[in-house]
Amino acid sequence: MADKVRLGFVPLVDCAIPVVARAMGFAEQENIELELVREMSWAAIRDKLSYGVYEAAHLLAGIPLAARLGLGGVPVQHIVVPMALGRGGNAITVSTRLYQRMLEADPSAMHGPRGQSARALKKVIDEDRAAGRPVMSFATVFPFSSHNYELRYWMAAAGIDPDKDVNIGVIAPPRMFDSLRNGWVDGYCVGEPWNQRAVFHGDGVIVALKEDIWPRSPEKVLGVREDWVNSNPETVSALVRALVRAAEWADEPGNRAELAQLLSEDANVGAPFEVLKASLSGKPVLRPGEAPTEIPDRHVFYRYTATFPWLSQGSWVGTQMKRWGQVPADTDLNNVVRQVYRPDLYRVAVKDLDVAVPKHDWRVEGINDAEDRSFVGPDSFLDNTIFDPEKVI
Amino acid sequence: MGCQGVGVNLVKLEEYNILVIDENPDRAAIVERGLVESGYARVARIGTSHNLVERIQALAPDIIIIDLENPDRDTLEQMFQVSRAIARPIAMFVDQSDSTMIHEAISAGVSAYVVDGLRQDRIRPIVEMAISRFNVFDQLRRERDEAQAKLNERKLIERAKGILMKEKGLSEEDSYALLRKNAMKQNRKIYEIAQSVITAFQLEF
Repeated sequence: MADKVRLGFVPLVDCAIPVVARAMGFAEQENIELELVREMSWAAIRDKLSYGVYEAAHLLAGIPLAARLGLGGVPVQHIVVPMALGRGGNAITVSTRLYQRMLEADPSAMHGPRGQSARALKKVIDEDRAAGRPVMSFATVFPFSSHNYELRYWMAAAGIDPDKDVNIGVIAPPRMFDSLRNGWVDGYCVGEPWNQRAVFHGDGVIVALKEDIWPRSPEKVLGVREDWVNSNPETVSALVRALVRAAEWADEPGNRAELAQLLSEDANVGAPFEVLKASLSGKPVLRPGEAPTEIPDRHVFYRYTATFPWLSQGSWVGTQMKRWGQVPADTDLNNVVRQVYRPDLYRVAVKDLDVAVPKHDWRVEGINDAEDRSFVGPDSFLDNTIFDPEKVI
Repeated sequence: MGCQGVGVNLVKLEEYNILVIDENPDRAAIVERGLVESGYARVARIGTSHNLVERIQALAPDIIIIDLENPDRDTLEQMFQVSRAIARPIAMFVDQSDSTMIHEAISAGVSAYVVDGLRQDRIRPIVEMAISRFNVFDQLRRERDEAQAKLNERKLIERAKGILMKEKGLSEEDSYALLRKNAMKQNRKIYEIAQSVITAFQLEF
């Protein structure tokens, strides 16, 4: 009999891996009856996983860490991460009005590397302050989201204090686009298709992509309860294998049009095919009405170890939590990361497959010419810093 | 016993500001009525709004009851974290030892945020009331959906009978008997046969 696994997901391009695992038969091949349930909120998906409505979930990388630490006024939950679900496709989008202001305030910053575009935002903020205008509002998708950390990283590198110079609130992904359109926020950081959608409608301009901030930044992970892992180790392995195979399929350029079609269905992402295809084919449109930009690594599902749950990536997320005051300064983060991120489960699951795994679970991040460059992909932070997880305090 | 005890009890209950957030106004009304009838006088409800943070600050709730799947929860949780947005920290299901209630709440689709420090024994009846009202609403909705489905089935059968009477010259009674006979023979429902009849005749034109 097949093992039944209920998996909750949020409609974003990176739900592709579980969607493909089911639709293309990878789950079935592993004797798993995969039931997918679409959720509109991260809090809902976290609670349903925690209390047994789901066995598995598509989660933001920060959620299992926050759950282990009992952050956000939510009771401690033991969720573990046996694999990552690709690198997502985050971007920072601003309203067309704010884009025009940024362009006028600092044309050279806006024509330089996208990672530095916040310098123009800084000038707009300074103008507003001098004129006594209220601070602008930005949104991310959850307090413990890579989007929150990427947006803050981008701003801080340009001298903006994200806690004082702007308001950063939280809006669930499916509501982002309307919020920008209606003028409730001036910009946001969210996964695709919600950036590309704003551009296609002429309401927003993409000013930075996640790969401009840090291409290897962790995005979604597979979350499962620790007690479920302990009592169903073989099902966990089978699930990981099915999802790794699905990631491999989704990464294939020749499959991307079919993937866009699959994701466009209402039961999956439910966004227009054209919007999904532009992003998935690595040819996003960054400004309304302009020609697409070639960004072949826009969506990475499998290559560059995108499914491996790197401890150093978990550690980076933890460091950002500390940086922005979400966890007490004396928390032993790497110890928490070791409990939550479980590359051992990944290694066991794929040991008989033709899947390349790294030698170590940790690595120093941000050295673009590191020896393993071809294996892990481009790797540099927008401010050229290096992240050494051993030096995390 | 007696009036005095009840009076004291009511005063205590009235101390709480309860906020019900629900995109479904009918369900919110059912929950609100249940709470008011149980003696909680200060109950407010709001649907979805983009100025959620301001509205919550103005209402200063002690307890927020919100449907589990509401995307506004993501916004709320951020708000509870940022101390400048709301004065007091709020926790969900403060008492983890009460796992029965948590499971009942999750399965009913209820989530709750509570001002830190409120006594669990005084929160419990409020959350329980919300759970029971959510379940009642669910039951009502299921009954309504079933009634609607039944009505639709009856309409299909009526249409199929009309077609058979017109096209085959059968009486109403014989038309129904024909549908029923085929349903029994094919081990299907009568309305399914009716649907096939309608489809078949639609195809011809």
